[in-house]
Amino acid sequence: MAHPDKPLPYIGPDTAKFWAAAREHRLSLPVCETCHRAHWPPGPVCPFCFGDGLTWRDMSGRGTITTFTIVHRDWYPALMVNGPYNVIQVELEEGPRLTANLVDPPPGGPRIGMAVEVIFDDVTPEVTLPRFRPRQAGERNG
Amino acid sequence: MRRNDGKQACIVGIGASRFGRRLPESQTALAAVAFKQALADAGLTREDIDGLCINMGFPLGTDYDRFAQAFGLDIRYVSQTWMHGRFVTMSLQHAALAVEAGLADVVACVTAISFTRAIPVLGGVDAEDMREEGGTHGESPHYGLTAPASGAALGMQRYMHVHGATSEQLAAVPVAFRKHASLNPAALMRTPITVADHQASRFVVEPLHLLDCCLVTDGAVIVLVTSAERARDLRQKPVRITGMQGLRTGREEFIFAPRGMGIAQQNFGRQPARARDLEVYRGAGIERADVQGLFTYDAFSPLVLFTLERFGFCGPGEAAGFVQNGSIEIGGELPMNTSGGLLSEAHVGGWNSIAEMVRQLRGTAGPRQIPDVACLQWATAWGDSVILQS
Repeated sequence: MAHPDKPLPYIGPDTAKFWAAAREHRLSLPVCETCHRAHWPPGPVCPFCFGDGLTWRDMSGRGTITTFTIVHRDWYPALMVNGPYNVIQVELEEGPRLTANLVDPPPGGPRIGMAVEVIFDDVTPEVTLPRFRPRQAGERNG
Repeated sequence: MRRNDGKQACIVGIGASRFGRRLPESQTALAAVAFKQALADAGLTREDIDGLCINMGFPLGTDYDRFAQAFGLDIRYVSQTWMHGRFVTMSLQHAALAVEAGLADVVACVTAISFTRAIPVLGGVDAEDMREEGGTHGESPHYGLTAPASGAALGMQRYMHVHGATSEQLAAVPVAFRKHASLNPAALMRTPITVADHQASRFVVEPLHLLDCCLVTDGAVIVLVTSAERARDLRQKPVRITGMQGLRTGREEFIFAPRGMGIAQQNFGRQPARARDLEVYRGAGIERADVQGLFTYDAFSPLVLFTLERFGFCGPGEAAGFVQNGSIEIGGELPMNTSGGLLSEAHVGGWNSIAEMVRQLRGTAGPRQIPDVACLQWATAWGDSVILQS
C-alpha cells in the first residue's frame, strides 16, 4: 500500500488555473462572462447558463462553514500524526462551496455558520493549498 | 405504467456464496458457487444465460468477460458499471430492460467481489481520489477527505444542524438491522447491539461512529432475470419487477445528502418529495402505502434516513424520529433491510438485500418473514428504485 506522505491534489486541465493562482496566494475561480456567476468545481463551460466565455477572477476569500467533519480514521497516516483533523465545506461570498480545512480552530472546533477567511499554505515548492481560518465577523446561520 | 404482460421482467433465481472477510477464494470462485446455486434455484442451465449485468467489476470483482470465459458461456448482451454500489439499481434495471427489449432471454446479474483483497489494488484508500475535481462523495485527498463514509458524514452533520437530529436517534438504524441479522445465519454480525454500544463505538468520521458504517466483506450474489412468459416454466414463483426509476444527479444532488441540504453545490431548502421523485409508484400502478417493506443501500446509517425522506415516507427532517421504537424492524410499520443489510449481514454491493427481497416475496425468509408480503421497494438515497411484487 503506497500512501503518499501527504496527499497532493491531482492537477489537470480543468483545475490547473486554480492551483496556479493558489501558488500566487490568490483564490481564483471561473466566472461566467454572460451570467456573471462563479462556479466550482471548474468546468469547460458555465454550468448555470451553458455559456462558453469564462474568466478566472479572484474571490474575496471570505465565506461561511456550511458543514464539516472530524476525520478519526487514518486513511492518510501522514495527516493523522497530530490526531483527528477537521475538513470543512465553505460557502464563499460569491456562492460556490469549497472543501478545505479550518486552521487555528477555536475550542470546540469548527461550527456550521462560522465566518472564515482564506489563508494560503505552501505545502511544497509547487503546490499551495488554500485553507481557512476563523474570521471576526457576524455569524449567519449557514 | 410499465408493461404487465408476458414480456415483463421477473427475478426467477437467486444464489449466494458464503460471505466473509479475507476469504481465500477468488472472486470468480465465489461467483461459481453463487451461479450454480442460482441456476439450480431457477431450474435453468448455464446454456440458458445469454445476458450479463455486472455491477462491480475490476478491481473489486469479476468482470463480464472473465465470468463468461470461466463458466463457458456464450453471451449476447452485457452491461457493466464502474465498481460502485450506486449502480446496483441500474444493473438490475438494465437486466429488466434487456429482457423486455429482447436483447437477452435470461440475464445473470453478477456481483462477485472481494473488498478485503481489492483494498491494496485501490491504493489503500479510494479510487475517486484521482478525479481532479474531487470525488462523488466529496473526496479531496489533499485536505484529508476520502472514502464514501466522509460524504455521509458531511451530509449527516448538516442534517443534524438543520433538523435537530441526534446521533442517538441515528443509532436506531444499526440497532434494527443488527436485530434482523441475529435472525439470519448467513449474516456476519449477529450479536445484538444497543444504542449505548453505538454511542461507545469509536468515531470513524464524525458524526459517524463505527457502527454507522457498513461491513467490508467478500462474497458473491447472483440474481437471474427473465420474462414473465419464460418464468412460467421455471421452478420458482416469479418476482415481478413492476416499477422502476433511475438514478438522480446534477448540481442539486449530492449522493449522500438529501436534496436541498446544501452539501457541495446543492442549494438550501429541503422540500417534501415531488411527483418526479415518486415515478416508481406510478410505474408500478401502486401507492406508496402499498409498500410492505423497504430495502436500501445502507452503506452508512444516514442513508436510511435520507431514503425514507426522498421517497416521502417521512417529511424533511422527520426520518430520525420515524426510525425510533422499532418502526423499521420486522413487525414494525415499515420493515427495512430484513437480512441485516450492508451494516450487519455483508457488503455484497446491496445484492444481498435484493436476494432477501426475493426470499421475502417467495415466503421463504423464515424467522425474518414479513407476513403476507406481496409488494416491496428497493430504493436508494440517490433516488433510484425498483418495485418488486409477487
